[in-house]
This record gives sequence, structure tokens and C-alpha cells, in this order.
Amino acid sequence: MRITQLTKAIALSIAFSSGVALTATASVTDKDIKDDAATTDDVVSYGLGLQGQRYSPLAKVNKDTVEDLRPVWAFSFGGEKQRGQESQPLIKDGVMYVTASYSRVYAIDARTGEELWQYEARLPDGIMPCCDVINRGVALYDDLVIFGTLDAKLVALNKDTGKTVWKKKVENYKAGYAITSAPIVVDGKVITGISGGEFGIVGKVYAYDAKTGKEVWIRPTVEGHMGYIWKDGKKTENGISGGEAGQTWPAELWKSGGAATWLGGTYDASTNSLFFGTGNPAPWNSHMRPGDNLFSSSRVAIDPDTGKIKWHFQTTPHDGWDYDGVNELVSFDYEEDGKMVKAAATADRNGFFYVLNRENGEFIRGFPFVDEVSWASGLDKNGRPIYVEENRPGNPAAAEDGKKGEVVVARPSFLGGKNWMPMAYSKDTGYFYVPSNEWEMDIWNEPTSYKKGAAYLGAGFTIKSVADDHIGILRAIDPKTGKEVWRHNNFAPLWGGVLTTAGGLVWTGNPEGYLMAFDDKTGEVLYKFNTGSGIVGSPVTWEQDGEQFISVLSGWGGAVPLWGGEVAKRVKDFNQGGTVWTFKLPKRYESNNIAKN
Amino acid sequence: MRSINSLSLFTCSLLTLGSWLGEYFSNDKILGRITLKSSKTKCLDTVFYKELSYLIVFSISLLVTSTVQARPYDDIIEAGNIRIAVYDNYPPFSYQSSEGEAKGIDVAIAKKIADAFGVELELIWMTAGETTDDDLRNYIWKGHIIHRVKADLMMRTPYDRVYSQKRDDVGLLVHELVHMFAPYHSETWKIVHEIERLPDVPTMSMFQYHPIGVENDSVPYFYLNSAFGGRFREQTSVYTSNDEAFSAMVEGEIDAVMGLRSQMSNLHAELDPDKYQLAENAFPMLGKQKWDIGLAVHNDYRALSYAAGDVITELVMTGGMQAIFDKYNTIYEKPAYYVTE
Repeated sequence: MRITQLTKAIALSIAFSSGVALTATASVTDKDIKDDAATTDDVVSYGLGLQGQRYSPLAKVNKDTVEDLRPVWAFSFGGEKQRGQESQPLIKDGVMYVTASYSRVYAIDARTGEELWQYEARLPDGIMPCCDVINRGVALYDDLVIFGTLDAKLVALNKDTGKTVWKKKVENYKAGYAITSAPIVVDGKVITGISGGEFGIVGKVYAYDAKTGKEVWIRPTVEGHMGYIWKDGKKTENGISGGEAGQTWPAELWKSGGAATWLGGTYDASTNSLFFGTGNPAPWNSHMRPGDNLFSSSRVAIDPDTGKIKWHFQTTPHDGWDYDGVNELVSFDYEEDGKMVKAAATADRNGFFYVLNRENGEFIRGFPFVDEVSWASGLDKNGRPIYVEENRPGNPAAAEDGKKGEVVVARPSFLGGKNWMPMAYSKDTGYFYVPSNEWEMDIWNEPTSYKKGAAYLGAGFTIKSVADDHIGILRAIDPKTGKEVWRHNNFAPLWGGVLTTAGGLVWTGNPEGYLMAFDDKTGEVLYKFNTGSGIVGSPVTWEQDGEQFISVLSGWGGAVPLWGGEVAKRVKDFNQGGTVWTFKLPKRYESNNIAKN
Repeated sequence: MRSINSLSLFTCSLLTLGSWLGEYFSNDKILGRITLKSSKTKCLDTVFYKELSYLIVFSISLLVTSTVQARPYDDIIEAGNIRIAVYDNYPPFSYQSSEGEAKGIDVAIAKKIADAFGVELELIWMTAGETTDDDLRNYIWKGHIIHRVKADLMMRTPYDRVYSQKRDDVGLLVHELVHMFAPYHSETWKIVHEIERLPDVPTMSMFQYHPIGVENDSVPYFYLNSAFGGRFREQTSVYTSNDEAFSAMVEGEIDAVMGLRSQMSNLHAELDPDKYQLAENAFPMLGKQKWDIGLAVHNDYRALSYAAGDVITELVMTGGMQAIFDKYNTIYEKPAYYVTE
């Protein structure tokens, strides 16, 4: 055994030294990040460009060639920590940086799949993440690899050695905070959101100096809370979010308002705006908090230089269904009546797709992107939902005898018409490719509930499918007309991100384990490969040595298997995993393609 | 040949045990895992196939007695220690003094159980989940999300038939892997008020006019913010802990605090009794008025529950339980289960 370990150590050190040789290259600059969507030889931001379009101009793998795609390497995260792998890899100078469940980071030789280094955050016993021990990826800046941990810290590692350069406690995990989203870097500032359960947390967006980890600003996403900015190292007041407390919240409920920024955000350089989504308001019982409860279930535009809110758009005012508003707001331009519109789109948990003017947050149009929405009959001219009041879960105060409250059937379920998994936008087709789910929920007041041995008034819920043969649907949606151009049904709920390319392909994975490539115009499946465990991560593509590579993580988990009942039955036989799969075409294609061109 | 096999079998089992212990105690989990993997592979390679069944049986017996699993009563006695889960930072039930000393009512009861069994007490400090369901999963049947440690026994679980028999949407018992038993006290709600500003609380109606404090995300928080059409809402202040609410009352920001009777009576005992009082009012339209608190074990370990249940019955019937609550200046009410004709 001693010999085995020694051999392993030697092997590691060899891999390591070759890794150093390999990565002794330029570090990531602001320009690299700004140009990420257009450059093909690297992926240096979450979303393949900070706008989050998840579009690559690469076309070597295309509708004609994709059938010959094959895996070139697979990398196992190892260990017993095989839980949901929701990460998106980043690639720079032949090295892949990827996170895994339980706050782990790996640097891998992107040509061979050999490990260069591994970092495992030492997590305290007391962490209590709500929805699986996942992580969605790193940010790269200078020679740093930056990521958030389940105990609510930001950690910056040296890209060549994996050694910690700086570490910052963003919030106290004991108060119920965690970080699972991928940070982004804008003009030298690393920006992150925060997760938290119903422990009375307040959502915030945080900016730090990416090189040093020093605070730059903090912006709360609940009306009434003071924001701060650091001037010459001094923390100074930077205006109350929303102006003052008590405008859209009753009494003191704004103090523990929720609105967690748990999915992180996107950035648009042309308007110099960060776009962060916010979670549901707390407490869950909407009858306790009459009012719109700003800025819960909203998209908030923040100036990255000042940390001030420019505008907000609330998708579910006075939420009573747990429709978090965290889903990514993707910037895109389109032409209408001869004018270019600076737009941004989002597919909300609540079942509506919104197109906004990203300069001022004004509503351009909205429409349901799921087959049925029960809680609202539509959107008014400002994009505000027209509620179906009888579909709002009942007031627990009305069920005073301790009996189970009235059951309301609401659709979509609280896991949403679309959850965290990012959609993609193709410049070529003008369509959004939206990973969505059709399901509903029974929701009621649950008086037979306890918390720390004290009686508690919880919400009981059950998620149910609405069709026998599918829950998941990958949809191509035209943001100009609201039309669904094509759809692909999937038996299990979809929980992985989407990628689209100039090769006319749309990529995503499913919990059944398949990486799939679709024709971007018709939805025809042109390629599929089973990775051995469910895919709940986001695929990426890049070019290396003249060849196009595609990578995706395999490892079933996330929030779906945590909820019992009927939906759990559909997914209970999916095995866990933890593998990065990487694909490319056979080498001969390179010359063939050149010949063709 | 045979003796060599037995020797390798024994070595392998030791290695297996070692790696289990290694994983439990090692802070650096990578080392623990590598040991486990390589020793297992190596062992299986060297043991004859015929012997495999012995190895499995032997390993299972070691696995059961290893320190990460919940265990049957006999194994607890044999090992000489019992792991009991109590909530962290939850006075007066269970908390640690600044010197790290374990204190509280649940800690004292846990100690009584360990003493009666003649074993060492090992406390597992629980971080509470959003509901008790999460705690039962993390500490009784599935194990902690990071290190997979389970407790033999968990304190402060509800003793409520409706709760323990709850079924999910497909008709299965939600708590089928948990046995809840041995109610040791009855819990309810209580208000403490400052008697100069608020001399008397005849009914809840007073809190349309008098400011009251409450801990965040609790039933009193729901109640004060929503009952009677929200008429107490404007007078309700929310605090992250009862301690903070009491400080606010002492400083004159609020006139009263509502919370668990155990906690209210315990905190009230630290104040001047001429200035602060426990109210006797009712809580109309409040769902659950009173409930019992007991113990939980994994459903496989009924013998452990009988033995622990006997200790609790003895404590409740001989006044030992009352004495523990008295020591912490906390109101004690015997569960209906023990009230005889």
C-alpha cells in the first residue's frame, strides 16, 4: 500500500510538472473576458460570454459532421462525493477548470484529461444547503481561479498550483447562507450572489477586487436595506435599496425578506449593467406580507461601478407559489421596424417568458412558454401578472383548527417552468433554446410540522407530472413572436444547461445520461451519447490545435431527486456519478473541412 | 494454506475497520478514502473466492460496530458509549458554555440515559434544518451530508401520532425509518411582559396597541403577523433570537415577547420578577396549542427505544425530570401519557 501511494505521488508529481510547463502562459485579462463570446480558443466566463448567450461561432462540428463525434477523454472526480454535477467548465490555454459537488475544483489538461491539481474545500459540519451540495463553476481572472463554497466563502486559487491565494467569508454559513453559483468578473471585480433558506436571510449582490479579495460594494436586494461601498478601504453608506423601507412590505417583514441571489448574474457591456435575479420573498406564506415585496422574484440591473440599482422588473409580485425570479437574463439585440432593439430575455420559474428593454427594464412583451399556467390568466401591458386569486395557496390563519388546509393545484410547480439550467440564444436562428418542464403541484398549509421540536406551520406540497411520457421539454422559442418553433419531449425533467453553435446545433443533456445535439431549426436529434450518469451541467465548446472540442459533466443530482412523490419515482433508478466527458471529431476531419472550404 | 488465508482475512478486516475509523476521524478526507479503496482492492485480490463470504460477514460485523453507524442496544453497551444528538445553541435545552461545557435540559436527560446504560455519553451537536424532517434524515436514518455520521438517539423530537404516521402522496409513511417514543415533556406558547408599560394581558387584543417581539420564522411570528386579519402586524417586531427580543424589551422598545413556554420561563427567570411577568392569556386561532416532546431512534433499533423509554418513565414518575427543569428555571409539564387516574 505504501508503494502504491508512493507510485501515485510520483505519477502525480510528473503530471503536475508537465502541467506547470503546459500552463506557463498568459493570464486571463478583462479583454479576454469581454471578448469571450467571440473568441473560440477559450471559455473564460460562465455563459460563454458575460451576456450569457451560450452561443459559439464554432462550426466544425455541424449538422453534417456531428454523427462522427466521439469521446476523447473522460475524467472522474473520484471519491464518494458523487452528487449533482451542475458545473460549466472553463478552458484557458489548454487547461480546463471545473468544479464538482462538495465545493471541489479540478484543473485538467484539456487535451488528455489528465489531472493537474485538485482543491477540496474543508467544509464545516454545520452547513445546511437546501438543494444538494452542488457548484456551478469558477471564474478566471489574472492567474486566479475563483469560486464560491457551500460555507459561503469566495476562494481564489493559483491557476498553476491550485494553492489558495485569497479567501473571503462572504456571509456566515451558520446564519443559513451558502454559495453554489459561478461568480463572474467585470472590470477586475469579482461579483457573486448568495443562497439561503427560510432562515430570515436577505439577498445581496457582492463585488470584490478580483486580485485581492478586498470588498468593493454590497447591494441588498430587499427594499429598505442599506447598501455599502468601500472608499479608500473605508466602508461607507451607499443608499438604501428602493429608497426606504416599508413601501411594498408590511410592518417589519422587510427585515427578513428573502430574495436570495442564489443563481448569480450576467453582465452587458453595452449598457454597463449587471443583471441579477432574486428568489422568492420570505416567509413563504404570502398572506403575511400583503404588497409587492420588492425586490423579490425580480430581475435587478446594477451598475458595476457604483453598486447602485438602475432598474428592476418583478416577474411575480407578492409571490405565493415559491416562484423564484433567479433565472438568467440573457442580453441580445434584434431588429424591429428597421431599428435595433437592445433587449434581454428570461424564462421565469412562473411559466412566462419575458422580453425586456435592457437599457431601462421596460417590458416589451411576454408570453407563457409552458403549455399551461394556472396562477395567472396572462400579463398586462406592463408585464404584471393578472392573478387567478383562487389559485393562491390559502391563508394558514383561516385553518385555525390545526387541520390540513385547503389543497390548491398550481401549475407550473415551484420547481418552475424552467429552473436554474441556463437557456441558449442563437444569433443565426434568432431563437432561444429553453430547457423547460411541464409539472404541477399540490400545495397546502401543513400544521403537522415541527422545527427544532417546536410546532411549526409549514407548506406541504407534492410535485406531479401532467403527462405519462414526458416532463422535460427542450423548446425553441422565437422571442419576437412568442411562438414555439419546435419541441423535444423528455421522460425525466430536464435539469441541464443548453449550448448552441454556428454549426447549426443545439446541445444539452438529460437525467437519463445522454448528451444530445439537435438541429437548431427542426429539433431533430442528430447525435446522442450516454455518459453513464445523469447530465445536469452545462455543455461548452472550444477550439484547440485546430479542432473543435465539446465538454459536459455527467453526475445526476440537484433538487429534483430531493422531492419525494411521483416525480421521484421517474428518476429513482438513475445512478450518481461525477465525470467530465470531452468529445471531438476524428482528426481526419480537420483536413477534410479545410479541403471543403 | 488455510492459515494464510485466515491471516489475510484478518488483516483485511482490520484494514477495513481502520479505513472506516480513518474516514471518521481524519480531517483530510482524501487520505481516508485512498486507504479504504486500496486496502479493499488488495484484500479482495488476495482472498480466495470461497473465503469471500466469510470476509463479507466479518466486515459487516465490523461495519456495524464501527463509529459511523447507528447501532442496536447490545452494541452500544458493548462499545461502552452512546451517541445522542442534541440541537446546537438552543437554550435552555442544549448549548455550550463559552468554555465549551455542554449544558441544558436535553443534555442532562441524555446524561441520565447514558448513566443508566453505564456507558459514556458522546453528544452530536445538530445544525437544525428547515424542519424536523430534515434533522431526522440527517441524524437518524440517512446520515449527515458531509461525514455520514448518524446518532443512536435524537432528543427533542415530536411525540405526535399524526406526525409520526404522516403519509406522502403515494401513500407511504414519511417517517417509516424513524421510531418516535418516550414523551418527556409538554410544550406550549407563552408571553412575557413588562408590567409598567403593559400591566396585564387579559387577551391577545392588547397587541393591537402594545408592541411585541418574536423570533423570526416561528409559529408566534406567523400568528402575530397574520391572525385576526393581521391586526397585530403593525405592533410586531421580529428578532433573530429570543435573547435579542428580551434585550429589546428590557430597553423599552417592546412591551412583551411571545415564544416557547420553556424558553420564555427560562429567560424570565433572569429578569426582575417585580418588573416582568409570565402572562396567562389564551391564543385563539393559533393552530397547535400544545404538543409533546420525546426521543427518536432508527426504526431498526426498537430494543434501544425500550431501554431508553424505561429511563425516561423512571425520570418522569420519580420527579427527576421535574428536578432537571427546575435546575434551569423552566416550567415543566408532564405529558398526558404519564397522567394516571
